[in-house]
Amino acid sequence: MPAMPSSDNLPTTPVNRRDFLALATRGVLALNGLLGVGMLLRFLSHPPAPSSANEVDLGPASNFPIGSQTVMAQANLVLLHTEAGFQALSLECPHLGCLLNPEPGGFSCPCHGSRFDSSGALLRGPASKNLKPLSIEQNHEGHLIVRY
Amino acid sequence: MQRTRLVASILLLAAMAISIWRVETAPQPVPLAPTLTRQTEYCLTCHSELAEISPSHPIETFGCVICHGGERLALDADLAHSSLRGGRNPSDFSVVQESCGGEDCHSGSAAQARDHIPRVLRSIQATYAGAIANMRYTFGAQEDLSARMGIFAIQDPNPTSSSVPGLSAFDPSQETHPSLIAFSQNCLSCHLSSEPLPGKEYARLTGCAACHTPTAGTDLEQPLHRLTTAIPYTQCNTCHNRGNYELRSMHFQARSDQPTNRLDDYYQPIAQFVRCEWTLDCIDCHTRQEAMGDGHIYSSQKEAEYVRCYTCHGTLDELPLTRTISDPNDLALRLAFVNPQFDLQVGDTIIITDRGEPLWNTRRLPDGSYELLAKASGQRFTFRAVKGSACQQSAEQQESSYCHACHAVER
Repeated sequence: MPAMPSSDNLPTTPVNRRDFLALATRGVLALNGLLGVGMLLRFLSHPPAPSSANEVDLGPASNFPIGSQTVMAQANLVLLHTEAGFQALSLECPHLGCLLNPEPGGFSCPCHGSRFDSSGALLRGPASKNLKPLSIEQNHEGHLIVRY
Repeated sequence: MQRTRLVASILLLAAMAISIWRVETAPQPVPLAPTLTRQTEYCLTCHSELAEISPSHPIETFGCVICHGGERLALDADLAHSSLRGGRNPSDFSVVQESCGGEDCHSGSAAQARDHIPRVLRSIQATYAGAIANMRYTFGAQEDLSARMGIFAIQDPNPTSSSVPGLSAFDPSQETHPSLIAFSQNCLSCHLSSEPLPGKEYARLTGCAACHTPTAGTDLEQPLHRLTTAIPYTQCNTCHNRGNYELRSMHFQARSDQPTNRLDDYYQPIAQFVRCEWTLDCIDCHTRQEAMGDGHIYSSQKEAEYVRCYTCHGTLDELPLTRTISDPNDLALRLAFVNPQFDLQVGDTIIITDRGEPLWNTRRLPDGSYELLAKASGQRFTFRAVKGSACQQSAEQQESSYCHACHAVER
């Protein structure tokens, strides 16, 4: 078995300037590529800008007996259950969109003073419309689904 | 060639490293999707500590961008602020229509009393037309005192017999009299588009915020984020009652004192004042149309101001004009709503002016006297009508000087 040459005796191949530049360029480009892929992955995994949900599940219809009026603050709506059925009204003021406050007999706007009765009918401006009715339906599980 | 490639790839690497560093050090965005626009904006990432500007403009409803402009999704301050309207003040008249206008906001119909912007742009505090007309007449540049020019050109599509149909922009370069040139250089600091004179006593913003953002005596460099209709007299005094213009040299002669006592210090020493003139705030008597205009262009303050002592106190023969509120949409209720210190209700009887403007901060009491709420201080005052009193004033003597003869406070 031939003896291993010591490191001092390893044959050396001189790296010329051209080879060094080529090697360095490849290394830097490889690093660029890695960073680029990393940035692309980060970009693709970035959560999209939050958008408001366009439908909300209010739960089982049986939770809302006839005659009930339920303010769903999280969903910015009031759910009315009358003999005629379910009705959902937006609690955003039709004037400029401020969130209405429930008060005895109806709702009032804390921003500019518009008032509405408990059925959503306009009592006092500056709003000029009744509260906006929202689309509501019952799904196959008996839940009430409101769409904005 | 090889060296150029290496340098280029190193530069590319440096650019990517800087980009990554900027992304990593950027703040975590705080999103807000106001109900009025439903468009996400990230302004609260840096501005969450800012106080809400007014109860009528909650941030959940309005957000920031609809009034201020700016790049709503930018996290870099320079980029986010690059398209702000009016810099820090979106109510400056150069941008007020974009910032505060809109049919349901402040440039709606006159019938709905939502025409704040078109009215104020024609008001004498904005046009400065009276001062310009006076100076041009005094120095021979025009033949009478009728206004022809304003700080900016403005038209009134429906002028009255006592108003002017339009103004052209005052152009100092067209003036030849030295006094008018000096006037344009030294005396145009007291209108709603002008920057204030230096000093805390003059501290105010421009446009709507000149009045509705109280700044008197403060440092304008501080964050200012407030709008109110309860405007104290001190804010009016950032322009008014600060001194006089000396007509020979056309320079502003500022008063040398810093008055604190309203009765003894504030006003001109030779003038007389009754109690309500130095205890109330200016806006307790002067109406929105007097301060912000009635939609027409006038040649002088005298044509715009019309509330007199008799407006509230009546005359020997007549009680003050009143109106009992029966309509829940009455303008008085809307105005009172934004100053909740006064609980005005349907059924209340309020004083109205000659032109039908409601003094919504007044109410007739069951015993026939009247109550007035001071809008800024919240103080309540009661007063009686002249009719039935021992007053000997004649019906023709309704200028305040006649009232001062008996009722001025000694000082």
